[in-house]
Amino acid sequence: MGISGYQGKILEINLSTGAIKVEPLDPQDAILYLGGRGLGTKLLYDRIDPSTDPLGEGNVIVIATSPLVGSKAPTSARGHMVYKSPLTGYIGTSNSGGAWAHTLKATGYDALIIRGQAAEPVFIDLSPEKVEILSATNLWGKTTHETTDILTAESSPGNFYRALAIGPAGENLVRYAAVANDKNRVYGRCGPGAVFGSKKLKAIRVRGQEKITIADEAGYRSGLDQALYLMKQAPITKRLMRELGTAGLLLLINLISMLPHRNFLDVEHDENKLEKVSGEYLARNYLEKAGSCYLCPIGCQRHTRVKIPDGSEKKGEGPEYETIVMTGPVCDIYDPEAIIRANYLANELGLDTISFGGTVACAMELFEKGYLTPDKTSGLEVKFGSSGLLEKLVELTAYRQGLGDLLAEGSYRLAQACSHPEVAMQVKKLEIPGYDPRASYAQALGYMTSPTGACHLRGGYAVSLAFFGGTREIPRFSLLQSPIAIRNMQNTGILQDSLGICRFTGFAFSVEPWARIASGITGQDFSTIRLEEIANRIAALERLFNLEAGLNPEEEDLLPARFSEIAIMAEGQPRLITRDNMLQMRRDYYKSRGWNEEGRLSQPLLGQMKIEKKMEPES
Amino acid sequence: MSKKKWQIREEIFRLFHSIGRASLLCDLQDSHSGNMAMRWRNESGEELIVITSTGSQKGDLEPNHLCYLSPNETDFGYYKASSETDIHVGILSLPGVKASMHAHCKEVVMATLDDQPSPKSLPPFMPIDPLAFYHLGAEIPVDWFAVPSGSPEMAKTIPARLAEHPVTIIYGHGAMSRGRSLKEAFFYLSLVNNAGYIVRLLERQKINLNELRPKIKAKPESCFHFKPAPYNLEIDGRCDFPEEEEILKEFRKAGNRIFESRLSPFHTGSISVRGVDYLLYAPQASMPYEVGGPLLKLPLTASEDEDDRELELHRKIYAESNFQTIMHCYVPEAEAHAHYIYSGENQPISRIIPVDAEGGFMYLSIPVVGPEVKDEQLIRLLHDYKLVVIRGGGIWAVGSLSVSEVLHHPSSLREICLYRLAAIERGLDLRKMEPEKAKKW
Repeated sequence: MGISGYQGKILEINLSTGAIKVEPLDPQDAILYLGGRGLGTKLLYDRIDPSTDPLGEGNVIVIATSPLVGSKAPTSARGHMVYKSPLTGYIGTSNSGGAWAHTLKATGYDALIIRGQAAEPVFIDLSPEKVEILSATNLWGKTTHETTDILTAESSPGNFYRALAIGPAGENLVRYAAVANDKNRVYGRCGPGAVFGSKKLKAIRVRGQEKITIADEAGYRSGLDQALYLMKQAPITKRLMRELGTAGLLLLINLISMLPHRNFLDVEHDENKLEKVSGEYLARNYLEKAGSCYLCPIGCQRHTRVKIPDGSEKKGEGPEYETIVMTGPVCDIYDPEAIIRANYLANELGLDTISFGGTVACAMELFEKGYLTPDKTSGLEVKFGSSGLLEKLVELTAYRQGLGDLLAEGSYRLAQACSHPEVAMQVKKLEIPGYDPRASYAQALGYMTSPTGACHLRGGYAVSLAFFGGTREIPRFSLLQSPIAIRNMQNTGILQDSLGICRFTGFAFSVEPWARIASGITGQDFSTIRLEEIANRIAALERLFNLEAGLNPEEEDLLPARFSEIAIMAEGQPRLITRDNMLQMRRDYYKSRGWNEEGRLSQPLLGQMKIEKKMEPES
Repeated sequence: MSKKKWQIREEIFRLFHSIGRASLLCDLQDSHSGNMAMRWRNESGEELIVITSTGSQKGDLEPNHLCYLSPNETDFGYYKASSETDIHVGILSLPGVKASMHAHCKEVVMATLDDQPSPKSLPPFMPIDPLAFYHLGAEIPVDWFAVPSGSPEMAKTIPARLAEHPVTIIYGHGAMSRGRSLKEAFFYLSLVNNAGYIVRLLERQKINLNELRPKIKAKPESCFHFKPAPYNLEIDGRCDFPEEEEILKEFRKAGNRIFESRLSPFHTGSISVRGVDYLLYAPQASMPYEVGGPLLKLPLTASEDEDDRELELHRKIYAESNFQTIMHCYVPEAEAHAHYIYSGENQPISRIIPVDAEGGFMYLSIPVVGPEVKDEQLIRLLHDYKLVVIRGGGIWAVGSLSVSEVLHHPSSLREICLYRLAAIERGLDLRKMEPEKAKKW
C-alpha cells in the first residue's frame, strides 16, 4: 500500500532505446522530497551524471507532480520540470500551471522521466491504458499552438487530451527555449525546450482520470477551507491579479526604484511612456477577460487582443509583468502593441521572454557601444528603443537566423562573442529578470544564490515583500538581515514548487494551511517543521548537483560588476551593491545553509540531511 | 541654604520628560498626577535631589518643572516641588536608592478597593502574573492613610515599606516605587499596575482568585514558566549595532508599539532578529521611543554559564528552526484569559479561538499551554502556529522574515482576547461563537 495522495508509480521512457519502464515510487523519496521540484530533483540526481552535456543523450528530463495535484487544493494543478540547463550548465527547474500536470497525474503516474535521444522527431502519448512513443515528423516545425491543436483535436467531453509541446525555438536548440502546456502556460526558464529539442521530443500528450486517495479527509478539509478563506480576503489574491494581472506590479515596482531600464543601466523612466505599458493601461485597452489555471481562484491570466499590421486583430495571452519589463523598458521600449505581438509570437515559437528580453537588451547595449557590429546583425540597427524590431528578433532567434543565431545563445555567450562579457546582465548565464537588485539587497542575494541563476522565483521573491510584504516586509538595504530572509524566502519557494502550488498564494498566507493539506492528503507528517527540513534538503541537493556539474561559487555566486559600479537612486540615496557587500552577504548565506566558506557541502551535512545518490541504471 | 538650582540640565530634563511622557501614555497618570525624583551629583560634586514641581503635567514637562533641592536643607525651591517631596526625600535616603516615583496606577488601585470601614487594615495585594510576582514579591503592601497625599504619616510609612519592597500601594491613591534609576522606578510602577489589571481581568472572568493565589504562593515555579531576569541597569543605553539603521528603526518601532499598545509592561519582554552567527537582541523590548532600551548583538550560541532563561529560549528556538525573528511579551489580556475555564469544565482553556474577523483571518486557533511546557513542545507549537500563549509565562511569537511580522502576533492576540473577554462579560457563550473548524485546528 503506497502513500495516499501519490499514485505510487514513476514512468521512465528511454527515447534512445524505446524502452518504457514503470517503477514504484520509493516512499522514502516521497517523504524526504515531497513532490514537484523536490521529488524531481531527487529523481534527476539519481539518474544523471551532472557533468553531462545538457544537449546530449545523457541529459534527463523529469516532470514531477506533488501529492496535492489531483486534490481540490487551490492552484494545485502545477507541475515541475527538472533537467540540466543548456543555458547555464547547472540545474534547470521550471514550473507551470494550466491543467496539463493535473492530467499527467490522472494518467496514474507521479512523475515522468525521459532519458536518451530519439533518432527522429517523436511525441509521447500517455494514458492509464497505454504509453506510446509516436512519430512527430508531421509536427516538427509547427508552433506550440498548432501542435497543441493537432494533438488535442480528439478531445471529447469527459475525455480531454492535454498537450505539452515545444515550438521551433526548442527544435532549433535555442538555449532558452520554453516548453508550453495548454498553449500559453510555460515551463519557461533555463531552456527546457532545447532539451526537448535535443531529444527530438516534440510533445507529450496526456489523458486520464485516475484519482488519488486522501488519508485524512477532515484534516485535508480543514486546511483547504482555511486556504480558500484566506485567499478571498487578501487583496492580491482576491482582486489585483484578476483585474490587472502581474502587469499590475509595474507602476508599483517603479515607485520603489526597482524597475530596470536599458539593460540595467538605470531605473529612470519617462512616466508618461511607462504608463502605456502598465497593467492598468493594458487592462483598459487590450484585455478581453481574465483566466485561470485549473483549480485557481486567483485568475491572473490575461486573454488579450491586439491589432496586427494587416489591420485585423489577433487574440492571445499576456503579456505578464516579466515579459513587459524585459522586452519593454529593459530594451527602452514602451510600445504596448509591439510587446504584446512579440509576446504572442514568443509563446507560439516557444521562447522564454525573460531571457529573450535580457539578451536583446544586451545586444542593444553592445550595438550602441560598437561591440556588436552590423556585420553580425545582418544589417539590423539593434538600438535601444527599436520597438519595430521586436517581433523580427523573436522570429530570427527561434529559427536561429542571422543575428538570431547569436541571440539564441543567451546574453552571456553573446557578450562573450563580442569580447565584452561585462555587458551581459546574468548570473550563472541566466538573464536577470525585471527587478533591479540594487534596490533590494535581499533580491540581489537571491539572484546570486539561486540554484538556477538569476531567477526571482527560485532565488527568493524578495521584491514581493518589498511592496506587498505587509507585516513581512523586510529592510531593503540590510546586509545583516538579508541572508536569512532570502534563505527563508527561497525555502518557501521550494515548498511551493514541491507542493505543486502557485507562488501567488504566498500573498495570502504562508506554509501553515499547506502543511495541513499535505498531511491530510498523505497521512504523513508534513507539518511545518518537517516541511522546513524538506526545503533545506532540497536546497542542499540542488547545490550538490550544481557543484558536481562544475559550479565555481567564487566566480559564479556573484552579480555582474555593473551593480557595484553604477549607482541608482532609491529612497533618496545613491544605491550600489559593492563587491564587499556581496561577499559579506554571500558568506553569511552559505553559513545559514550550513555550507562552508567556499559554498560547498560537507559529507556530515549530507549525511545529516539524508542525502545520498542511488544511481539508477538506464533501461 | 545652598544656591537656588533653577538651571536647566539637558540630560536630566530629557530623562524626566521621557519617563513622564511614558507614564502618561501607559495611563499610569492623569494629566497632572504623580511625581518623580532622583538623586544627582552636579558638576561641582554637590549631591542634589531633582524632583518634579507640584501640579506639573508629567506628560509635558518643561525645564522649569524640575526642581533641584538639597537633600539636607529646605529652600524656596522646596515649596515649588512636589507636595510629596518629604516622602521622596525619605525614599531617596534609603541605601542604594537613587530614584523614586509615584503614579496613580489606576488598575492596581481599582484592584485593591475595599468596602471595609475606615480606618482600614488592608491585606497585601497578591499578583498572579510572573513579572509582578518575581520582581515585586508575592505580597505587595497596601496602606490606608487618613490623609492619603503628602502627609507626614505617609512620609513615615512609605520609605519604611520601600526599604522592604520595590513598590508599595497607597489605598485609593496609587503606588510609589524606588529604584537604582528613574527607569527602574518606573519599571516597578508599570509592573504593579499591570498586575492590578490582570487581577481585574481575572475577576471579570469569574476566576477564583482564592484558589489561584495560594497555589502560586506555595509553589510559584509550578505556576510560572520561568523567573524573569532581574532589571539590568548595566546595559542601559547600550546599542551594539548603530550602523544597521534600518534594523534599528524596526526594533524601535516595534518596541514603541509594544509599550504604547500595552502588549507588555515597560522594559519587559524581548525581541530578537537572528543573524548568521549572532542575534540582535532587545532584552527590554517594551520601550517607548523617547526612553529606548538596550539593543545588543550577542553570539547565537550561548556560553555555558548562561543564566538568562529568556535569552536562552531565543537561542534554543533559533537552533531548531529557520525563524528569523522572535518576540516574547507579557500581553496582560492573554495572561489573564489563559486562566479562563469554560462553564462545566474544570481545566483552563487549551486554545484561544478568535471570534473576531481580523483574528480569524490570522489564526484559526492559538494554543495555550501550561507553565510546565517543555522547550521542544514550545518550539514545535511555534512551527505550527507561530504564536503560543503560556499560562504564567507570557506569549512567544516567531516570524520567518521581519520584526514587523512577529509584532503582529501579540498585537493581534491582544485584540482577540479583548473581544473574547467582552463576550464573557456580556454573558455570551463563547463556544457558540467559535467557528467549528477552528476547534480541530
